[in-house]
Amino acid sequence: MSQPFRLNKEGLINRNKKISFTFNGKKLFGYEGDTIASALIANGIHLVGRSFKYHRPRGFFGAGVEEPNAKLQVEFNGHSEPNVNATEMELVEGLSATSQNCWPSVNFDIGAINNFLKMFFPAGFYYKTFMWPKSFWYKIYEPFIRKAAGLGVASLEKDKERYEHKFEYCDLLVTGSGPSGLASAYAAAKNGAKVILAEDKPRFGGTLLTDDVSIDNLSGKDWAEKIVSELKSMPNVTVKNRSQVFGYYDHNMLVMFERVSDHLEKKSKFTPRQRLWYIRAKETILSTGSIERPIVFGNNDTPGIFLSAAAKEYMKVYGVLVGKKPIIFTNNDSAYETALEFKKNNVEPIILDTREEHSSELIDEAKSKGIDIRFSHGVIVANGYKKVKSAKIGKLNKDKNSFEKIETIDCDCICVSGFWTPSVHLASQSGNKLKYDEKIDAFIPDKKKQHETSVGAANGSFTLEQSLKHGFENGAYLSAKITDTKTEIAIPNVNEKKYGAHDKFWCMPLPKNENPKRFVDFQNDVSVSDIEIALREGYRSIEHVKRYTTLGMATDQGRTSNLNGLQLVSNIENKIVPEVGHTTFRPPFTPITIGTIVGREVGMEYMPTRKTPMHEWHERNNAVFVDAGAWKRPRYYKQGNETLFEASKREAKNVRENVGICDVTTLGKIDIKGPDAAEFLNRVYTNAWMKLPVGKARYGLMLREDGIVMDDGTTTRISENHYHMTTTTAQAANVLSHLEYYLQIVWPELNVNVVSTTEQWAGAAIAGPKSRDMLSKLYPDLDVSNDALPFMGYKEIDFFGVPSRIFRISFSGELAYEINVKSDHGLFMWEKMMEVGEEFGNQPYGTEALSTLRIEMGHVAGPELDGRTIPSDVSLNGLVSKKKDFIGKNSLGREAFNVESRQKIVGLIPIDRKSSIPEGSHIVKDKNVKSPNPKLGHVSSSCWSVENNNPFSLAIMKDGKNMIGKKFFAVSPLKNKSIEVEVISSHYVDPEGKRVRS
Amino acid sequence: MLYIKCPYCGLRAQKEFSYGGDATVKRPNINEEVSNEDWDNFVYMRKSPRGKHIELWQHIAGCRQWIKVQRDTATHEIFQTAKVTEEIR
Amino acid sequence: MKNVSSLENIHKLGLFGNNDNKDELINIREIKDVLIYQIVKYKKSSISIDKIKIDNLNLPKTLFVSSNHYTRILWMGPDNWLVVSSNKEIEKSILENLSHDDFALTDLSHSRTILELEGSLVDEVLKKGCPLNLDGLDEGKCSNSAFHAITITIDFISSNPRKIRIFALRSFGESLYHSITDACLEFGYKAE
Repeated sequence: MSQPFRLNKEGLINRNKKISFTFNGKKLFGYEGDTIASALIANGIHLVGRSFKYHRPRGFFGAGVEEPNAKLQVEFNGHSEPNVNATEMELVEGLSATSQNCWPSVNFDIGAINNFLKMFFPAGFYYKTFMWPKSFWYKIYEPFIRKAAGLGVASLEKDKERYEHKFEYCDLLVTGSGPSGLASAYAAAKNGAKVILAEDKPRFGGTLLTDDVSIDNLSGKDWAEKIVSELKSMPNVTVKNRSQVFGYYDHNMLVMFERVSDHLEKKSKFTPRQRLWYIRAKETILSTGSIERPIVFGNNDTPGIFLSAAAKEYMKVYGVLVGKKPIIFTNNDSAYETALEFKKNNVEPIILDTREEHSSELIDEAKSKGIDIRFSHGVIVANGYKKVKSAKIGKLNKDKNSFEKIETIDCDCICVSGFWTPSVHLASQSGNKLKYDEKIDAFIPDKKKQHETSVGAANGSFTLEQSLKHGFENGAYLSAKITDTKTEIAIPNVNEKKYGAHDKFWCMPLPKNENPKRFVDFQNDVSVSDIEIALREGYRSIEHVKRYTTLGMATDQGRTSNLNGLQLVSNIENKIVPEVGHTTFRPPFTPITIGTIVGREVGMEYMPTRKTPMHEWHERNNAVFVDAGAWKRPRYYKQGNETLFEASKREAKNVRENVGICDVTTLGKIDIKGPDAAEFLNRVYTNAWMKLPVGKARYGLMLREDGIVMDDGTTTRISENHYHMTTTTAQAANVLSHLEYYLQIVWPELNVNVVSTTEQWAGAAIAGPKSRDMLSKLYPDLDVSNDALPFMGYKEIDFFGVPSRIFRISFSGELAYEINVKSDHGLFMWEKMMEVGEEFGNQPYGTEALSTLRIEMGHVAGPELDGRTIPSDVSLNGLVSKKKDFIGKNSLGREAFNVESRQKIVGLIPIDRKSSIPEGSHIVKDKNVKSPNPKLGHVSSSCWSVENNNPFSLAIMKDGKNMIGKKFFAVSPLKNKSIEVEVISSHYVDPEGKRVRS
Repeated sequence: MLYIKCPYCGLRAQKEFSYGGDATVKRPNINEEVSNEDWDNFVYMRKSPRGKHIELWQHIAGCRQWIKVQRDTATHEIFQTAKVTEEIR
Repeated sequence: MKNVSSLENIHKLGLFGNNDNKDELINIREIKDVLIYQIVKYKKSSISIDKIKIDNLNLPKTLFVSSNHYTRILWMGPDNWLVVSSNKEIEKSILENLSHDDFALTDLSHSRTILELEGSLVDEVLKKGCPLNLDGLDEGKCSNSAFHAITITIDFISSNPRKIRIFALRSFGESLYHSITDACLEFGYKAE
């Protein structure tokens, strides 16, 4: 029940709301406002995981995004999430957390054997191992590595949460609500700008919550509250907490990740869990603060070792002590504030300062409080395996490369501070090249690439007075540019402690005869010796050192290790840090969920679908659908227990013998009008269009400029300057853009309008020898004889009281008609056709039967017009005019297109008259030739010929026409088939095309 | 996501556009003789600059106009946009 | 019955979503039985569009809408407008005022699904899937854009209360309906 390390009064948590949770099965308590980390530390728990490679015991190091060790598997609100950062995740009732990367428990982990064998696992060991014998890889090494890899476990459950997106615009986006961010947002808001203030944590204020400062006689915390409250009341300001701006993209677009309800025990059914904001900001202020840099020493990864600012944050924000016998190990003044805070809470710290004895405001204050300060001292090695219990410390000599006095002192925590690193991630992502500031030994933003301004600690200004001043100034300036308003802001009075200079020292030397590991990157177990190895093996570029050692590549992206790594490389190479450079910062700043990226594009909304007006009828009549782009088309209508093959055979046979109807609404329709319409068609199609009479249709072939067939369709002259073009379903959108391209850019002098009417008309094809009889019943007042309505004829006439268009065109090769009515009448038309057609044996047919019909007729479609074929390849050369110019014409003269033995379309039938030939099969002379077997062509379309009762395929084959009568093999290594075939004409059924003209 | 200024509709998100290739290419006139070399240059040859590039986009979820855009192919910075009948200087 | 609109079998009446806050409810209805025409002025036409009136309305300029009680004319592109009208005589008005030599007229009356949304949180719904900057798109304006992957036209009918019409290609009707109503669930909606 007790939380032995919880302070009685300190902190901003809500002591009125107790929260129960479990850790590794043990039930514990914390308070509302705790993170998992602060609650565990309050309960005296520090051992939370095992490191990635060596399985060393690990505890908390930081208090926020900088945390490298405490990644837990967490179950809460009904889902399980791996690699959750315990120092960021808010405590919620019933949460259950477990340690990762350890077995059977974090206390007794078999993986720890790695630690004792660590001399075999230096940096890059996997580049030199697991290679021999070769046969061991698949069965032994890979499965073992796969099991050992990773940290947490991904859930296999379906994610039932709602994740949403939001597109937002603003004048100024402020990323971070520390003092500089609050000042910027305030000044900009007062100038009437539309401001979004984004704060990653639940609480606003940043360092104002932990530092001992006052602004206008208010504590930092109270001043922050006052500003935030005023901002929230302004209609032009959006204030968001629990929202992290994690990425800076092109043209000032930033993306923000909002944790809407993870901290709530209950929420409304449709409240999203998380939300992704795409924010287009005119200006951004990056007030992202800075992260403390550690000093590297022996066994510095032992649980109980913290960043000193984190120790301070645990006391001030969470009311938690990280220990009761702290050592403060520092090279600068800021850690003295942590010492003073411990002292205030009746804990006696010992300060080890690497600098020589000197005076500063903070040093003097610590001295006056009687704190034990030892200058020129440092921690050499931390002692204790699962928790630090003492430290070997030493007095550094003048050159800081050896020790003069070594002793061991007891402690239960070590708070380390190596000065501060500005968080420049967003600035860097925006394209800012960064520059090295020698005053602070860190990178800060350089010249702007986009509209971003860094202020405060993120820009290397570490005093409160500077941060506020720059915040107010920049907020005012940027907003005034946009709103043209200038409101005076009174700069407040600031009271803060002044810092002296820091020591440029970050890595303790090793004592003689001892070799404890000094860790640089905790999460990936990268130590000083690993970096030395990389450099010894010749890796010079920081990008190579990073990848070889994996320094900075873990989920914490090297926040507490990059600079120290860089410093080591530069020391060893005898270069200065800026010469070595830095690796690239990439979004997201911290991990975000996949769910949030996907948003609502799941389930029904995964991809939009398009449905014809008759869709509901197809559903009711057992249609099995196929995707044609975004459209759903009936593939076949299943009767009883029919298979696809049986149904499509039945449907196709019925069309050949009686009549069938097919929903052809999805084919593209483009309405073309204008005095130059005929001329335009003439340029776009390969065949002649100037003399097409009104009321007649014509088949048209369209090429790309490189001579390849782009699309085919039928275009009808509705009236003098009015044409109706059809395209294939797949190419409808492309053809429209293609026509618009030529009309707007290439031939702007042509007076033509094109507009898509695919959706205006519902279409049904009526095909088969009895289609004329059926048509005559549908249109009793129309003369439907061959003379009155010939092949390629067109009529406009009412269909049972609604306007309709009749096109006598045929895709199937049978006698056929296509009827269009306006979409709202589509269902009516279809139901009428089913009613009237019954006496003729009419049945609906789907795309599978449709394919069968056109394939055995030798009519080409998508599989033949695959982006590699020209008209003469697919028996369409008759449509290519020799007299006029058109798109693609000049390419048809290429040598390769006119070679004697060029590929041509042919038909194939299996010798055994039984085996179906898989589409995509290769045609070869002899199937027994070992690879490579010269490929003579490929099979483009296959069907069961209902006319001849055997399989039939279309193929594109070298010198195809001269191969007719010869035998070959169609082989499909994918389907493990090789079938002996005979080459025949591609026009298997009705080669003279008599039926369509009958 | 790029932010492109359509000369007709104003600044719009990249989602509303479709990329359409090099804008500096001019198609040889229709019904005129053209040498094989000139035709091949038109159909196939393109410069692939690292830096400023004038290209075509179509505002398909907008006014459906083709427009010219001058963009830096390495940084995505967009310098100018124009109607296809106008020049980019 | 001969006419079946795009959302006939999809638009189910009722209250849905987090609908406890009645002030924030969004009202959704399908607009059907309107006539829709595309009007495009030919490039070579020298006619001045300021003189043209359809149902007594001028042809609006870029991103604007001209409207009266029955008819709304939306700007779609340069010299390109969409006439949306519940006036059965609108075709007559168009044919009387526009010559075939100057304009291409195309009937698109059956080619769209139209949803009307009304309520104070309508913009919040749009922001979930549409990348448009809604600042400045007040009543009397219109724009094309996209909602998730569906191309749409938005007619901003009024600002107080906020009322808009979303047009999409007819075949996308069911998908658009699911997308939009899903975005409304957080606030609650009433299908009328």
